[in-house]
Amino acid sequence: MTDITAQTAPRARWLTRERIIKWAPLLVLIVLVLLFPFFEWLEDFRESKEHLYLADSRFFSIRNAARIAIASTPALMVAIGVTFIIIMGSIDLSMEGTVSVCAVIFAFAFIGWGGTLTSWAWLAIPLALLVGAVLGFINGLVHVRLKIPSFMASLAMGFVGTGFALLLTGGDRIRVEDDLFRSLLTVRWFNFPIMCYVALAMLLIAWFIQSRTTLGRNFYAVGGGEELAHASGLNVSRVRIMGFTLAGIFFAMGALLAVGRIGIAETATGNNFMFISITAVVVGGTALWGGIGGVWNTLVGVLIVNVINNGMVVIGLPSYVQDGVLGLLVIAAVVLSTDRKTVSFVK
Amino acid sequence: MSFERIKPHFPWITLLVLVLLVGIANPSFFDPAGLLSLVSDVVPLFIMALGMTFAIYIGGIDLSVQQMANLVTVIATVYLANFGIGVALIAVAAGFIIGAFSGFVTTRLYVPSFVSTLAMGFVALSAAKYLSGQRALYMDAELRDASFGWMFGRTAGVPHELVIALVLLAIAWFLQTRTTFGRALKAVGSGELAAVASGLNVDRVKILAFAISGVFAAIAGLIFSVKLSGGDANLANGFLLLAIVAVLVGGTPLTGGVGGVVNTAIGTLIVMVIRAAMVYLEIDATQQQMVFGIVLIAAIALTIDRSKLRGVVK
Repeated sequence: MTDITAQTAPRARWLTRERIIKWAPLLVLIVLVLLFPFFEWLEDFRESKEHLYLADSRFFSIRNAARIAIASTPALMVAIGVTFIIIMGSIDLSMEGTVSVCAVIFAFAFIGWGGTLTSWAWLAIPLALLVGAVLGFINGLVHVRLKIPSFMASLAMGFVGTGFALLLTGGDRIRVEDDLFRSLLTVRWFNFPIMCYVALAMLLIAWFIQSRTTLGRNFYAVGGGEELAHASGLNVSRVRIMGFTLAGIFFAMGALLAVGRIGIAETATGNNFMFISITAVVVGGTALWGGIGGVWNTLVGVLIVNVINNGMVVIGLPSYVQDGVLGLLVIAAVVLSTDRKTVSFVK
Repeated sequence: MSFERIKPHFPWITLLVLVLLVGIANPSFFDPAGLLSLVSDVVPLFIMALGMTFAIYIGGIDLSVQQMANLVTVIATVYLANFGIGVALIAVAAGFIIGAFSGFVTTRLYVPSFVSTLAMGFVALSAAKYLSGQRALYMDAELRDASFGWMFGRTAGVPHELVIALVLLAIAWFLQTRTTFGRALKAVGSGELAAVASGLNVDRVKILAFAISGVFAAIAGLIFSVKLSGGDANLANGFLLLAIVAVLVGGTPLTGGVGGVVNTAIGTLIVMVIRAAMVYLEIDATQQQMVFGIVLIAAIALTIDRSKLRGVVK
């Protein structure tokens, strides 16, 4: 042990694998933020127009930052939920179904109980969170009690969820037009709509859960080595089920913000959340193998994904390129975060 | 008779019971013409599930099949005018390349197959959207009939689609049971570490398995596209769940190693009968996904080999 450290050059010790993995996502985000304005500058330069780098950029502006933030908030909630699961070394693919069900039930309850936040309809918000928790709980139960690998259990539950949402709506869209509820999007403080601050608050709560509660530490314990955690007396099954329940609550939060953003709840509300949130978590630097990463990584990851989406539109690339780019990005991120010496084979 | 002993016979018993139940409730179910059209309707799904069987047989999964088929519907529609029946070749090549790439990413780059195939699925979706210009495309009827009209004829009352499905099943069965590759698949599915230790080139076997899955998904997409006479980046959506269900209720567990393509044939028939039953019971189409999601959970729970998960279920 001592021999090895003695032989390592100081420089190599400074640039350790862990350190690179830890800071790479943030670096990528910064590079991206500087890269898109550069393309804009390049375009104007070719047409010999006046263009001061960054200052004249359409991408690098408060207005666009708010746009990116708005697009990020629902995805951030969903991605935070799945972060806890991935820290445990499991995965949750049920978010599309859960988000749809929560959004639809919220909208029905909200309209049925008065249709404005000043009436009893505000109860629809806790109801939606409860529904998310219940769905997550069932998900965890199926995974743990029936001993089905989490990716399959949650994928199947996701299908059930989407089907259930379709059953509830019959394919219709439900409009939520309460001004007070829509103020999530319409009222802005310091250029950013309220929903961004709500998301920030939820992020802080998630950070608190992750770093200051027993449950949060147990997630890391399970992800770091399940057998060890079990041997040291931890009730791993319970931690897992609680993790999935917590994730469900965050999915419901994502559903609420998604409805707040668009003003419509439908079966398709949950579409695309699966791929975007998994991509965001993995790109942010939370390892699929568990035990590493956290909610701040997820924030960086969500921003990377949304900066790419937004930047591509700004520099005029067609939207269909995004899916492919994100697909390759997620592969690259998993490859970079995998320590090949410790992995024997994957399925 | 213990449960473990009857477990391998479970799928066809289930099929038989379901057929009898549906038949008793609705005797017109046994009408040969109706039955034949039911079976030929399920052919694209069956072919897709056939490919998926290889991915699941080695203990992986292929979540890209649906997008693969979507891409091929677009390819077929766009290039039909230029290449005629040659689009079949392009489709198969595309399936092979994308599938093999997923396999490469899984084995050589250590990305779990559900992530690598999901990601490659989105790459395929991107390509499909690019090729189609994000519109629904239609085939020229004359060109279609000239190149692929033979797919939908009937010989002595047997739809040609069914013949195609049976030929593909025979090929897949031959691959699985009568070739060294098939034995290698079994070895990898039964215990990957043991297969590595005995000197098998496991990576190559796995990459090929994913490539085969891609090829079958592409063929499924082609038939689907010809059938509907068009292509669209969302045309085959909804197939993924049913394909996984068909493989699993057929008795090939998620953990791999047992089951196989014949099981998938039975599994697809079970899916078909459940669908027919739902139509008869007037269960709305919107509820299908929920029903099949629950069937999926039950099928996994019944078939999965928990001893292989070595205590830890992630």
